[in-house]
Amino acid sequence: MAANFWTSSHCKQLLDPDDVDLVPAADRERGITPEEFRLIKIHMSFHIWRLAQQVKVRQRVIATAVTYFRRVYTRKSMSDYDPRLVAPTCLYLASKVEESTVQARLLVFYIKKMCGSDDKYRFEIKDILEMEMKLLEALDYYLVVFHPYRPLLQLLQDAGITDLTQFAWGLVNDTYKMDLILIYPPYMIALACIYIASVLKDKDTTAWFEELRVDMNIVKNISMEILDFYDTYKIDPQRGIPEDKISSVMNKLPAKA
Amino acid sequence: MGDGRAGGANRPAWLQQYELIGKIGEGTYGLVFLARLKPSHPAPGRRGPPIAIKKFKQSKEGDGVSPTAIREIMLLREINHENVVKLVNVHINHADMSLYLAFDYAEHDLYEIIRHHREKLSSSINPYTVKSLLWQLLNGLNYLHSNWIIHRDLKPSNILVMGEGDEHGIIKIADFGLARIYQAPLKPLCDNGVVVTIWYRAPELLLGGKHYTSAVDMWAVGCIFAELLTLKPLFQGVEAKNTPNPFQLDQLDKIFKVLGHPTVEKWPTLANLPWWQNDQQHIQGHKYDNPGLHNIVHLPPKSPAFDLLSKMLEYDPRKRITAAQALEHEYFRMEPLPGRNALLPSQPGEKIVPYPVRPVDTTTDFEGTTSLQPTQPPSGNAPPGGQSVARPMPRQMPQQPMVGGMPRVAAGANMAAFNAASQAGMAGLNPGNIPMQRGAGGQSHPHQLRRKADQGMGMQNPGYPQQKRRF
Repeated sequence: MAANFWTSSHCKQLLDPDDVDLVPAADRERGITPEEFRLIKIHMSFHIWRLAQQVKVRQRVIATAVTYFRRVYTRKSMSDYDPRLVAPTCLYLASKVEESTVQARLLVFYIKKMCGSDDKYRFEIKDILEMEMKLLEALDYYLVVFHPYRPLLQLLQDAGITDLTQFAWGLVNDTYKMDLILIYPPYMIALACIYIASVLKDKDTTAWFEELRVDMNIVKNISMEILDFYDTYKIDPQRGIPEDKISSVMNKLPAKA
Repeated sequence: MGDGRAGGANRPAWLQQYELIGKIGEGTYGLVFLARLKPSHPAPGRRGPPIAIKKFKQSKEGDGVSPTAIREIMLLREINHENVVKLVNVHINHADMSLYLAFDYAEHDLYEIIRHHREKLSSSINPYTVKSLLWQLLNGLNYLHSNWIIHRDLKPSNILVMGEGDEHGIIKIADFGLARIYQAPLKPLCDNGVVVTIWYRAPELLLGGKHYTSAVDMWAVGCIFAELLTLKPLFQGVEAKNTPNPFQLDQLDKIFKVLGHPTVEKWPTLANLPWWQNDQQHIQGHKYDNPGLHNIVHLPPKSPAFDLLSKMLEYDPRKRITAAQALEHEYFRMEPLPGRNALLPSQPGEKIVPYPVRPVDTTTDFEGTTSLQPTQPPSGNAPPGGQSVARPMPRQMPQQPMVGGMPRVAAGANMAAFNAASQAGMAGLNPGNIPMQRGAGGQSHPHQLRRKADQGMGMQNPGYPQQKRRF
């Protein structure tokens, strides 16, 4: 449902973490390991983020685009669906769904500007439009996505710690470098971000969390996953995954047709 | 949903599921076809259910799938209600980049039903039918509004009524091409250009209001209610079309003539509406103070029916009756009580009104060209079915306030400010001294991991997307 997460297609499609990490057979055959699979997804999330910065769309559009991107690869392989084309197309589709349409030619223009020297990232309008249709199919036409942003603001207000908003908001943004949105209800992700923020900023939220009567084990598990992610990747938020680390992985994917 | 692989040169494989009957309508977005789903076990005399297939053209060059189609897919894929049209499948023809939405077919719509009474029968629609149609329309609308969806384009031709069968006489609200989720719009709703056919357009929109609400749908329902009673559109203004978003003075004038002038006393926010401020001379110039609504609809001013109608046609959108309130109105609790089959005769023994079926242009094929090929013989292909993974809904929600009912204010204003902050990210953060235990309390999972087949896209409820009729 458009307003009720529990009856939404998003809720019904939540996945088990093991299924999300599963490398599609076609990619496995090309020697892509689970770790590399994850790395490409992080890298391409940055790509979407940077492209979105250029065409100036709102946070929610980016979040929807990254969610589409990650959903695609729970069903399709990167060998069949080139992530370098899927990523901008996700942004294109998300911009339509979130009622802030970005024209395909604008995306093509900024991709050229961003990745001018690298031919593998360059696509024509026609490629994006064709992929848009394939994307709709791959997403099984489920387009409504819920995000942690709104519950985050409401929960921070409720907890009386709105001074943590910016910090927690940044954390939520970073969760899209992971697959959490495919696994957990968005408000649980918001709670995990609030938990991390309040611990790091020395706010005592224990009583507030107790009153919520949510399963704190889940909140803590998500928090650990987020902190693990920071610890493991230590990514420069401006640059993303370093070129030398990602290019050899991307080279395992088939060259453009 | 449909597999888009091409089956032949230009014939996608999914086409085999259908037996095309012909074209039943067209609009700016594309064409609508009537087809039958081929039975999964073909036998002589066995026919599959009728399906209306809406074909979307690619919009302008380079724009991809039209936003109208996207909106319709996005919303209809999430919602499920007896009084809302049922999207049974989506298909893609990659060869010509066209998109097809398959709906359960509905034989009638309010436009045709009203027209039949006006032009062929010259008799009014019986009170039981009027009340049942109105109740079901409100029931569907209440469902949409409680899910934060505004339809924005309600008019008699968008309200379908099922023909003979299990769902005979049941209303289906259709055509969601302009519908919006209004929980947290990224852009003001008016950015989509003008919406709602002018005869059914609410006064706050006509006066240039930008932040409109689900109340616009209720105004349209009021207009439709009156039209069901009198068989004539209530406010038949002449549409001004000179500029992209012109001031519809004539439409307002028609409304004022019947309902009297609105006043700032009764409608305080009126003073803030752009056209009310800018065009005082014209709109406030002529004064109508003889509200004559009851004479037009031939209802006693004290009757419950009139009371309900006038509450739907309340000028102030904040005071206008909501769908939920309307369903509780006295009108629906007195005889004749509304029923599930709105087309039943009012008295036992009376004959059922034989409404005409939709005209079908059998010379047009899916390409829209007039060279209909004989359809391929059935080849034992199974009917389409959802294949997505679904998980059972949790019985209990941990905390109510976090899911539904978000205040509408929060997101919009604050979000922009955080866009910049977002870039800072959290990378490089040292999580060293977090007092947290890994996997505290075991790895219990929030959700059940059982799976079952998706039941979202069954084939049981017929329905049909509406469009302008051009025959």
